[in-house]
Amino acid sequence: MKRVNLFAWIIFILGIIYFFLPLFSTFEFSLRMKKGVYSFEAYRVAFQDPKFYYNFGYSVLWAVLTILFSLILVVPTAYWVHWRLPKARPIVEFITLMPFVTPAVVLTFGLIRLYGSPPLVLTSTPIPLIAGYIVLSLPYMFRSVDAGLRAIDIRTLTEAALSLGAGWGTIITQVIFPNIRVAILSGVFLTFAIVMGEFVFASLLSWPAFATYLEEIGSMRAYTPQALSLMSFFITWSMMMLIQWLGRGAGRAEEIAVGH
Amino acid sequence: MAFLEINNVSKYFGKTTAVKDFDLKVEKGELVSFLGPSGCGKTTTLRMVAGFEVPSEGQIIIDGKDMTFTPPNQRPVGMVFQAYALFPNMTVAGNIGFGLKIAKKPKEEIEQRVKEMLELIHMPGFENRYPHQLSGGQQQRVALARALAMHPEVLLLDEPLSALDAKIRVSLRAEIRAIQQELGITTIYVTHDQEEALSISDRVVVMNNARIEQVGTPFQIYNFPQTEFVAQFVGTLNAVLAEIVDVKDGLLRFDGQQVHTADKLEGYRNGDRIMVAIRPERLSFAHEGRKANILTGTIKNITFLGSIVRIQVKLGESVFYMDTFNNPYLTLPNIGDPTEITCSKEAVLVLQQQPA
Repeated sequence: MKRVNLFAWIIFILGIIYFFLPLFSTFEFSLRMKKGVYSFEAYRVAFQDPKFYYNFGYSVLWAVLTILFSLILVVPTAYWVHWRLPKARPIVEFITLMPFVTPAVVLTFGLIRLYGSPPLVLTSTPIPLIAGYIVLSLPYMFRSVDAGLRAIDIRTLTEAALSLGAGWGTIITQVIFPNIRVAILSGVFLTFAIVMGEFVFASLLSWPAFATYLEEIGSMRAYTPQALSLMSFFITWSMMMLIQWLGRGAGRAEEIAVGH
Repeated sequence: MAFLEINNVSKYFGKTTAVKDFDLKVEKGELVSFLGPSGCGKTTTLRMVAGFEVPSEGQIIIDGKDMTFTPPNQRPVGMVFQAYALFPNMTVAGNIGFGLKIAKKPKEEIEQRVKEMLELIHMPGFENRYPHQLSGGQQQRVALARALAMHPEVLLLDEPLSALDAKIRVSLRAEIRAIQQELGITTIYVTHDQEEALSISDRVVVMNNARIEQVGTPFQIYNFPQTEFVAQFVGTLNAVLAEIVDVKDGLLRFDGQQVHTADKLEGYRNGDRIMVAIRPERLSFAHEGRKANILTGTIKNITFLGSIVRIQVKLGESVFYMDTFNNPYLTLPNIGDPTEITCSKEAVLVLQQQPA
């Protein structure tokens, strides 16, 4: 038994080293901006650059817009598939997997062709960018919402609300949304993390974003990009931790009390 | 005019017939149960009354108004589901007051109605509990209160007790009946449990294969089943194919036994074969008092079922069940003993069947 535990620990430690060593090295390197001493100079420089705020702000804006339109698209679609079109589920699932089989570059040029041709020329607007991000986040957003909908009895809850006189707006906002809140938040945080780190769409469609800024300064400076990379990691991890934390809360809420 | 009319309603799902020619009039304040096996169309019929399904043919009229195509959220019906269907994100008060909130009732009125409903279901003080903090029985009582809070004209209950354990089922069904009678609300109750249907209904609609088999009071359904299906489905039954010996005299023969029936054999001829049935409780040992019919056989098995003792008697090729009340001083025969059992002419029921 002890041997098995030891072996497991060795594998675990190797995994930790494999994962954290590059991060630690990046962190250590980011502290070496001042010769001979460790300092947070690289971080100070990064935070003093107005371009950082400009690009970071844009990425947040894209993320918020992507989340908003993803929710408007995905929640009613997933709900309707559960409620009325369960047979359509494999088709919808297949569509949501498209970003995994279509390279981002191909997708971008597809979007440029679609939105750059008459009658609707939208390439000067961020619509193709947001559309691309929505497609990119679709597998995560759909699956999160889908898992949430599977966990509750959509059909009966909907019928119960209908029998009490509720309309579709009320059912979606007061019955469905609150009961899949955790699942929706998982999708939201995943989408946020994806959009904050996305490079190809923003670069090819020429819109400011955190990832393109990172690439730009990476070619000019040595230490600041390392600091920004770690910040990017930090954002993603924060989102993952939030999902974990919310998921634990949901688990507790599902415990059923009996007796009385 | 009846309060709820289901006029010749049929429902088809593609090539499948879920309900066929369902015709029923329900009076105000009446509790009618739809009883039948799974897939017989009882829930589909209920869902058509609720508005969740649109009939392929026929009409649904509530209080004189044609509701056939009215959306469910505009019908004056309240519904209780098998799976409780309480909104997990809302408290008990939130659930009960949901419909009233939708109807934009004043806050004070909602609070007052929630309080009244909680008293009605004997759960005062539970306002701030969440559904996951309640037992199954409590959740279903809250679901009932939620459906009643809107003062619906028709209450629909779709197997409301199926998910509960036996003891709670019995107490809650009595509670449902008491509340229904207190409020005088027209109610449709779907169940596959015959005991449940017989114990709480004013009338029972027995369904099979998408059609109504028989409509009647619980007494009529149990004692005078009109079809073989009703006889077999409701209660335990000894059914046997018998040959008519004498139409005029009501004399029948099966497995070398001869019995008389009080039922008329109109439309049949001597030599026709018909299905007859005798309830186990209508049979008794002949030595305790001989009746019109005497059947001879041997004791095959004896089973104690608490308040009654069920005795299996082999009559030729057939095996009949006979029920007798249990008491500590009961003298029972041994397995394999020859015996004579008896029943009246009225106990021999002729089930509806085309003459052979």
